[in-house]
Amino acid sequence: MLGFSHRSLTNFLFWVTQKKWFLITMAVGFFLLLLPNPHGLSIEGYRTLIIVITALMLIVTEPIPLPGIAMYILVSEVYFGIGSANTIAKSFMNDAVFFIMGSLMLAVAIVKQGWDTRIALGIIKLTGHKTRNIVFGFTAISAILASFIGEHTVAAIMVPIGMALIHFTSEDRKKVQKLSAVLLFSIAYGALVGSIGTPSGGGRNVIMMGYLRDSNLSISYLEWMLRVYPLVLIQIPIVSWVLMKNFVPEFSHLDSGVRKLVVQVAKSAEMTGRNTVAAFIFLLVFLGWILFSESIGLGTIALTGVLFYLVAGFVKWEDLSRNTHWGVIILFGATISLGSNIKATGAAIWLANSIVEFLGPFIHSMPFIADTLVAIMTTTMANVLSSSATVAVLGPITLNIGNDTLHMGLVTAIASAFGYFTVVAAPACTIVYSSGMVKAKDFLKAGWQLGLISIFLLVLYANTYWLFFN
Amino acid sequence: MKILIAVGSKEYSGPTLSAGMKVARAFNASTTIVDVGEKVNEFSTKVVGLAQERMESWDFDRPGVDVLEWAFEYLAGKKFIERTDIEAGFPKNTLVDTGGSRSEVYLKGTVCEDVNLILRNGEIISELRDEVQNHGYDVTIIGGSGKRRMAHDLVQYIDSSIFVVNKYDPDQLYRILLAVDDSPGTPKAVKYGVRVAQAFGIGVDLLTVSKQDHFGGGYKNAADHAAKLMRRSGIEAKNVFEVGDPAQTIVEVAEENNIIIMGASTRSPIKKFFIGSKPLDVMENCRCPILIVK
Repeated sequence: MLGFSHRSLTNFLFWVTQKKWFLITMAVGFFLLLLPNPHGLSIEGYRTLIIVITALMLIVTEPIPLPGIAMYILVSEVYFGIGSANTIAKSFMNDAVFFIMGSLMLAVAIVKQGWDTRIALGIIKLTGHKTRNIVFGFTAISAILASFIGEHTVAAIMVPIGMALIHFTSEDRKKVQKLSAVLLFSIAYGALVGSIGTPSGGGRNVIMMGYLRDSNLSISYLEWMLRVYPLVLIQIPIVSWVLMKNFVPEFSHLDSGVRKLVVQVAKSAEMTGRNTVAAFIFLLVFLGWILFSESIGLGTIALTGVLFYLVAGFVKWEDLSRNTHWGVIILFGATISLGSNIKATGAAIWLANSIVEFLGPFIHSMPFIADTLVAIMTTTMANVLSSSATVAVLGPITLNIGNDTLHMGLVTAIASAFGYFTVVAAPACTIVYSSGMVKAKDFLKAGWQLGLISIFLLVLYANTYWLFFN
Repeated sequence: MKILIAVGSKEYSGPTLSAGMKVARAFNASTTIVDVGEKVNEFSTKVVGLAQERMESWDFDRPGVDVLEWAFEYLAGKKFIERTDIEAGFPKNTLVDTGGSRSEVYLKGTVCEDVNLILRNGEIISELRDEVQNHGYDVTIIGGSGKRRMAHDLVQYIDSSIFVVNKYDPDQLYRILLAVDDSPGTPKAVKYGVRVAQAFGIGVDLLTVSKQDHFGGGYKNAADHAAKLMRRSGIEAKNVFEVGDPAQTIVEVAEENNIIIMGASTRSPIKKFFIGSKPLDVMENCRCPILIVK
């Protein structure tokens, strides 16, 4: 046909099947472009929303690499006249992107220190041999650590500990299926509920802080903790209880597993001066976040920590470069740019007003309705997309719903951590899944219950405890 | 001759490996056994790699290594690899990263030239296509259970013959059902039929299906030529002539103890994409192993 060989036609058809979602997305975008812009929404605002819809479709279906999606967002914003090339380029980078970059690099530096053996010993000393207590210990430690160093770092450190305990209990996977699920999910879900506790718990928190700052609302590191940390502490026992109910472990005590784990840990090298200095550097970063984040930004402080690790020689640039996903950083830059343009073009206010109109007078008489809607919307999006991208795109819209911007901002940031249902919701879930010990359907089993409980708790908490701050 | 055997799990891939190695022995082929692990969500690839690095420091294998270890034990048990390799045990430390999420272990074969064990990660069709394109395999062998769409795409997009080990029972006595007509794909299919029949020590039914009541000269010549080749090769064979729709008739005639062998369609890829082809129809509807020769 037209001189094309069978081989080139086969290659073309293969490309079509591989890229079908890209082609469908472009067709949807083209169709939407042909429609007139909705009443009350500027042409730039409408085009921005089309880019949002198509970019989200691409992120969910992944027909092209993530950096490719970032480039799609960038070029579309310029071609559709949403901003000049320079304006769009500037909107790609801010402190939140620095933070995501610094946080991913800090994860490499911290994981490379091999603190997992010491953490394992610490947990066992605290919890003893009872499975119920160990599950609670895993959830609590994962949550507390994640609230400061991020859920992806904690999952990378804790999953090997969980795997060791499972493996030492029984090498026959069939005999420890439920124990595997309960221990590994306690790490993933513990890290998720913990990641809301402080701004440094996740990139999404920092993105939201940036949006709040743009709305002339400033919230400090400590104030965030004061408002949100109690919810972390409330959720820890609930997570471990729900997990124990859904995955009743095969063993009520892990005597042999714990014993072997202790022996294994004893074989590892003693704590060295280098380890102490590495921990001290992280402590400095943490203090920097608490004391100076408002003046110099969380991202700058995270990068300062990375710089210290590099100068001290505790991590090689090759390791940082190899283990940091630069494509993800570029994509977060793109979603943040998209978020700022949703706001700048008036699309955010138009969408928020549409939602308020839909809810009618209830939104003012019963504010928890707006909270519930935002929490459900954010949780759903976070489970199919990614929590940070969800906040970047939804943040500018939800901030315009209701009267209290700070309240809505925190509800959005917190609900984005309820990624319990799917493997792709958060890196912690993907790490647990990639261990090969749990199945994708296991995420739904306890996940939907935790999701409902978390949304209910969040709405209740936001409409009671936060009243004291007003 | 190079053969690629795709396995997926210890639980379900036994028949595929067993049938695959029999074919490998028949052709004295350089053989590669590949496990394609699930694609990791791109947001988390690096941090998953970091976690797996930590797991390896605790002496835990990354997913997929256990499947290769199981394949190694199968090869060792059947003495398909040299004794020195068997005695050394599964060499997971020599699982070399050859780039593009592909790792490889090389073993010296006994009944076939050599045996490679490969671990890949990603979307399965893409990974197998890449493997076949870059390493020039002649036959790709895959399991048939629950993955008809995968087999369909492999037949469509992979540039090698495809053996779909559908409902294969290693203890069953099989008989080859070789589809013969005047198409350009038949001579190569007949050659493969001879080799497989010799390796398995089984007989062959040469099935010729005509849409019309009479059989044209091309059909008769092809059937006679195939029968002659079988006789010369010392294989018990008989000609079967049927009238009807070729794909439907082949499916109806084939029984569970048949291995269907047929040539690939010479239709244009565009037609195959939209309308399908005889081999694709047969593969989708048959209840026995099928080898589509390209």
